[in-house]
Parts: sequence; structure tokens; C-alpha cells
Amino acid sequence: MTERRDDESPILPRSHEDAPGPAIRTEGLSKRYADTVALDQLDLTVRRGEVYGYLGPNGAGKTTTIRLLLGLHRPSAGRSELFGLDAWRDPVAAHRHVAYVAGEPFLWPALTSAETFEFLARLRGGTDVAYRDALVERFQLDTRKKIRALSKGNRQKVQLIAALATRAELLLLDEPTAGLDPLMEVAFRDCIEEARGRGQTVFLSSHILSEVEALCDRVGILRRGRLVDQGTLQELRHLAAQTVDVAFTGEVPQLPALPGVSVESVGPGALRFEVSGGIGPLIAALADVGGGSIKTLTSREPSLEEIFLHHYDGSDGRAGS
Amino acid sequence: MPAASGILRAPATPTPRAPASDRGVSIGAARALARRALRDARTRTLAFGYLFAIYAYIQPAGYRRAYPTLSDRLAFVHSFAGNDALRLFYGYPYDPVTIGGYAAWRVGGTLAIAAAVFGVLAAVRALRAEEDAGRTELVLAGVVGRRTAYLAALAAIAAGLLALWLAQWAGYIAGGLPVGPCAYLALATTSVAAVFAGVGALVSQLAPTRRIALELGSATVGLFLLLRVIADTATGAAWLRWLTPLGWAEELRPFAGARPLVLALPAAATVLLLVLAARISIGRDVGTGVLPANDTAEPRLRLLSSPSAQALRSERGSLAVWLISTGAFAFILGMVSTSISSAGISKSVQRELNRFGSGSIVTPSGYLAFVFVFFILAVSLFICGQIAAAREEEADERLETLLAQPRSRGGWLAGRLLLAACAAAALSLLAGLLTWAGAASQGVAISLPRMLEAGANCLPVSLLFLGVGALAYAIVPRASVGIAYGLVTVAFLWDLIGSLLAVPRWLVELTPFQHVGLVPTEPFRGGDAAIMVAIGLLAALAALAVFRRRDLIER
Repeated sequence: MTERRDDESPILPRSHEDAPGPAIRTEGLSKRYADTVALDQLDLTVRRGEVYGYLGPNGAGKTTTIRLLLGLHRPSAGRSELFGLDAWRDPVAAHRHVAYVAGEPFLWPALTSAETFEFLARLRGGTDVAYRDALVERFQLDTRKKIRALSKGNRQKVQLIAALATRAELLLLDEPTAGLDPLMEVAFRDCIEEARGRGQTVFLSSHILSEVEALCDRVGILRRGRLVDQGTLQELRHLAAQTVDVAFTGEVPQLPALPGVSVESVGPGALRFEVSGGIGPLIAALADVGGGSIKTLTSREPSLEEIFLHHYDGSDGRAGS
Repeated sequence: MPAASGILRAPATPTPRAPASDRGVSIGAARALARRALRDARTRTLAFGYLFAIYAYIQPAGYRRAYPTLSDRLAFVHSFAGNDALRLFYGYPYDPVTIGGYAAWRVGGTLAIAAAVFGVLAAVRALRAEEDAGRTELVLAGVVGRRTAYLAALAAIAAGLLALWLAQWAGYIAGGLPVGPCAYLALATTSVAAVFAGVGALVSQLAPTRRIALELGSATVGLFLLLRVIADTATGAAWLRWLTPLGWAEELRPFAGARPLVLALPAAATVLLLVLAARISIGRDVGTGVLPANDTAEPRLRLLSSPSAQALRSERGSLAVWLISTGAFAFILGMVSTSISSAGISKSVQRELNRFGSGSIVTPSGYLAFVFVFFILAVSLFICGQIAAAREEEADERLETLLAQPRSRGGWLAGRLLLAACAAAALSLLAGLLTWAGAASQGVAISLPRMLEAGANCLPVSLLFLGVGALAYAIVPRASVGIAYGLVTVAFLWDLIGSLLAVPRWLVELTPFQHVGLVPTEPFRGGDAAIMVAIGLLAALAALAVFRRRDLIER
């Protein structure tokens, strides 16, 4: 078995300190395939130690972004850097800082999981074997099985375990939980929290909103190859509408039109308001027309799903590839 | 069944086109499936079709030109009457004096082998490969039954065979053979493809993966070819011809007292194999084979230290098959070379033989020099397989996982090319060594160093194809496998037939095969070899440069 190198500290991966620059930085990064623009002018910075959620429907350009970051595909325009290193020009140096989980768990069908781990570890020049064994335990993987006999979810586990066990400074994860069952999904979230605790950076491409909401410090939303929104969940919520549900004891009162507030009836004696900006004017208006007839008033912040759907409102938001 | 589907199919509102019946749905689905399968196979079918048509045209046309009179042909026949060694490639010549009989011998014998390969490939692709990829499961989860899916695949294979038959027939007609009898000749060849499609269908049931199915199928082709070779060359073994589909094609005797009743043999064998495969197919779990898949193993950590080591690990099975079959064939060729003698071959015929690219096959060593052209072809085809393996690594996105590690692209490709070159060298030297051993076992006086040199002589051409194939892989990855196989096939055929045609010399010399000295009779042509290796090397370097700066392209 390949042992971890001695010069690595047990917590932080090797050369974490000496590489300059943020974990990920792109400027005007673009990719065009034949007649499709897969990625359009992406400006993205992911700081070290951040867990960044990269959201978008199928075909929005998430996988393209990751392939460009890794230097597997060549940018049509713009540039990208991992820890200050251009992965297109110098992939080997850049990849020393990175572990990658591909969107499709294609691996070598004739190798067992244990052999796959060993092969990938040797390609890197070492991995944390003890941590890997712990992960195998945690994800309940039978490492004697050949890849071709594994289900998609289990092949996904193989990729995940191999990537996590490297303790690389940056984890590039392309829809890593596709095919995982809910128990394994929980184990995955624990692993990401631990990675965050160790100071690792995680770039999590996903369309599972609850996962991103639970894990990510910052979120970027990609639509047809363009980054349409980015920020912490708090910041994104600020921009999106807040929902206020009001139930009245008697007749629904007539309210004056308020700027930034839309209203719909959601049953007898019940109204739902969608409020952009401050909630004050709505409260004042409600108090004016019949504060006494209000039975219940609930207000909640938009979920990530609502923010996400807001960005895709009125179109399917899907790009060609 | 009718009641259940009646409920399923009763629409809330009448639709303009309700499916007529179960049978109607079934036929429609079968048609769609067959069309899909035919489309998947179109590149292979077209390539084989062209090959068959051109080969069927060239041989009779060339024979007519080279041996215009009856006395010419008689002399030609005389020289070959006792030549076991040529029969090994072309089969038994029943009536080579007529153009038809000659074509039946030279074309029929060779194309029958190609037809066998086609049959296995077509059936495994349409049956096991679909299942291996999980598509059969998807189809069978719909309203399509197993029987329908199986019959649809067979219909697609049958259409491919029909195309092959027509292509060959058209080739013969263009070559000036009578329409009726040459349809029968083409049918004789195609009957081999049908039997081996049956073999392909059966191994598709047995093997759990496409790869194992192909290996079993190729081994079967090799075994039956070996039977035919023994039947055609060893004295007193002619009866063995009745045990192999390749022998049946000979016993149909096109243009030499045709025996159409023999067609009952391939027909019965085909039906038997297909029915057996169908029975197994209906009784087993979808996605599995009859042979158990060995899916659990203790880790074996040899050959995992680098991408090249792992490539060797994944290719070692196919490499072993290549080594064993090349070695066995080389040994047999060495053994039969003893039957070659110059007795009865006139000088004029010897001259003509040269024009067939056969060299002066009047001595054992001359014969061995001639057969090494086929080893050059074999090693070159092996090289194409290595290009295909590299491409598959990329197409299946495994390369993406590999290159996301701190490993360079150049290192990966260079390692694969080096591996292919070393394996080709091993194959070549083994061919030389075992040919010598076979010849020596029969008391033929021939020098080991010269035969090793003959083996090494396979390398320049195959290294040229390796470089050019790698360049094609770097520039047009999706088309590269077809380009590699196509180049090798065209170059080889052009070497065989180019000199028969009235084309300028320089056009004929475009094929690298023309630049090989026929060791051991001719000296090794060092200058030409150096040029070919240099071109191969330059192409490989260019391939590395191009590959470093292109996108990885998935399937």
C-alpha cells in the first residue's frame, strides 16, 4: 500500500502554504463548442477554505467549467487559475492541489475498488491510507468487488473516497452525490463539513438544492453558460422576494396597491404576499385596513429553491449542451 | 395478455391513431430496433462491403490480364498444383484454369475468413454489446418482448449479410464473371458469415461481457481456420474440411462442378446456433451471461504504478491472445514451408508470380519471405488495436479521471505508444523465432538469425502505422480508429493488387508494403526502413504536440 508522505502534516495537505493566489480564479473564462456557447465570460473567485456551491440545471455549463478549471478542455477565451497556477499550461503542477470527482463514475471496469484506490493513489504519488480505510468503513464499500459489478451509486462512492482520501487542498466535485442513497448522502455531508474544518476548499457542482443550502458558504447560479447570481445565501435572499401569508377571521379586506408587493388569494380568507425590499409598508397597510381581523401572519425567507426558480422564471433555462 | 394491454391501451379520449394490435406494436418495435442496429453497424458494413467488392473485382480482372491464354494458365496451375503452402492462405484450388475457378480459389478462400470475422463482429455488436451497455434492459423494460428484440437484432445482421453478398456479387460481375455462377460463389462466402453470426449469437449468450464474447468468437474463427488449413495442406486430412464452415464454403465448389446441396450444412448450422442462442437468451437474466462473471477478487497490486503499467495490465489478455495465435500460425507456416520446391515451375510463371507480389516462392525460404508480408499485416493490425484501446480510454472518460491527477498528457500518450511499439516488437520477433522453429522441426535448413531478421523486418511498417495512427488519434479522435484500420487495409490491398493494374509505378509504391525487403530471400532494406521509422517517429511527435493542446473528447 502506498503510504502518505512524511513531510505532509496530518491536518493540512502538503504545499498549502507555498502556493499563491485563491483556490480558484477565472477571468472572462469562455468555451465555445462548434456553434454552442457552453460558458460565457465567467468571472469567479473561490477563496481558500470556502465551500462554494455551483448551481445550475443540466446543460448550464457546470461540467464545462470544471473541465476548463482542470485544463482538460482548452478555454476559447479568458483564463483560469488554481492556486495561481494555469491548469491549461501546467496541469501537473495545478493538479497536485486538486482532487476531482467526475460527473459520470466511469472507472476501469476490470479493477476492483481496492485496486482502483491504489492506482489513483500511485498516480498522485501518495494518499492518506488510514483516512481512506476509515472512509471505506463509513461509506460501507466492499472493496473486493470489480468496478463493472458495482451500481452507479457505489462507483460514485469509489470516486468520492479516492478524492477525499487525498486530502487535497481543493476538492472539485461534479454532482458527487448522484446515485447515493440518503444514508450515504448524510455521510457525504459529514465529510464535507470535516473538510471545511480542516481548511480544505470545496467546489461543489450540484443541482440538489438542499445539499447546497446545507453545505455551502457561497453559491453561484449558472444559467445558459452565464453566472447570473452569486453570493452568500443571505445575500441572495436579500434580492429575492419574501413570502408573507396572512389569514383573516372574516372578509378579506381591500388593500391599496403597494410598490414591490404582489398579492394572490390562496383560499377563503387567506392572502399570500410576495415582497421585494422592506416589509414595513405592507405591515402598515395591513394595520390600517383591519389589524383586528388578522388571525395569523407568517413570514418566511425564500428557500434556495425559490431563489433558484426565480432566476429561471419564464424559461426553461437550459442551454444546448 | 390481451386483457391487460386492453386496459393499458384504453385512452380516456380517443386518439387519432390507436395501435392496431399487439402484433402491430410488436412489428413496429422490431422494425425500429432493427433499423437502429443496422445504423449502429453501418460503418463496419460499408467498410467490409467495399473490401469485398474491390477484392472480388480485382482478382478475376488481374488474372485475365496476367494469364491471357490457356497455356499460360496451365503453366500457372502446374506450378501451384502441389503447393501446400499457398493453399494455407487461399484454400484448395479446384479449377484454377478458368477465371471463375481462379476467383473462387483466390477470392473465395480469403474473403471467407473476412466473412467469418464479420459474422462474429456483427452478432456480438448487435446482441452482447447492446446488453453490456445496458441498452437491452431499457428496450426490454418497454413493451418489447425478448423474442422480438432478438429477432430484430437478427434481421439487422441478416441485412448486413445481404449487403455483403450483393457487394461481392457486384464485384465479380464487374470483374467479368458470369452473373449466375458468381452469385453462387458470393453466396458460398456469405454462408460462412451466416454460420459465424450464429457463433457470435451463441457466444453473446455465454459471455458476460462484450470483450469476452469477442475473444470467444475470435478463438472460434481461429480454430475453424486451423482445421481448414490442416485439411487443405496435410495429406489424408481432407475429410476435416467437412468439420469447418470454412471448409463447407470450399466444398460448395463454385465454378468447379457446383454442389449446392452442401448449402444445407451452413444453413442447418446457422439455424441450430441461432435457435440455441434464442433459447438461452429467453431463459437467462438480462445483463448476465451463462459463464459466471468473476466480479470479486482480492486486490492484486502489480502493474498499477503508472498509466502505462495499468495499460499493459488491461491489455495483457488481448496481448496474450495475439502472441499465442501469431506464434501458432508462424510455427505451422514454418512446418509447411518444407513442401515448397522449384520443380515444375517455369521461368515465365515465376516472373508472373512476382507480379502477384508473391516473390519467388520456389524455395522454403522464398515462401517464408512471402508469408512474412502477412505477418507485417498482422502486426500492423495489432497496432490499430492499440490505437483503438487508447481512444476507448478517452471515450469512456477514464482518461479524464486519470489526467485530473498530477500526470501529464504527453506522458500518458507516449507511454501508450511505447507500450504498443514494444508489444509489436515482441510479436514480430516471436513470429520469426517460431517460423524458424517450425521449419527446423521439418529439417528445412534455414538460419535463425535470418528469421529473426525477417521478424524484425515487420517493425518499420508497423511503427509507421503507429505514428500515423497516433497522429490521427490526436487530430480526429472520433474517426481515428477507422482511419488506422482503413489505412492498413488499403495499403495492404494496394500492395497485392496495385501491380496488377495499369497504373504508374509511383502510385503503386505509395504503399509502405512495397518498401519492404522480403527477408530472408532479399536483403533487409535499411534505407527504406529508416525512412519509414523516421516518418512514424515524426508523426508520433506531432501527435504528442497536438494531443497536448486539444480538448479531451468523450464518446
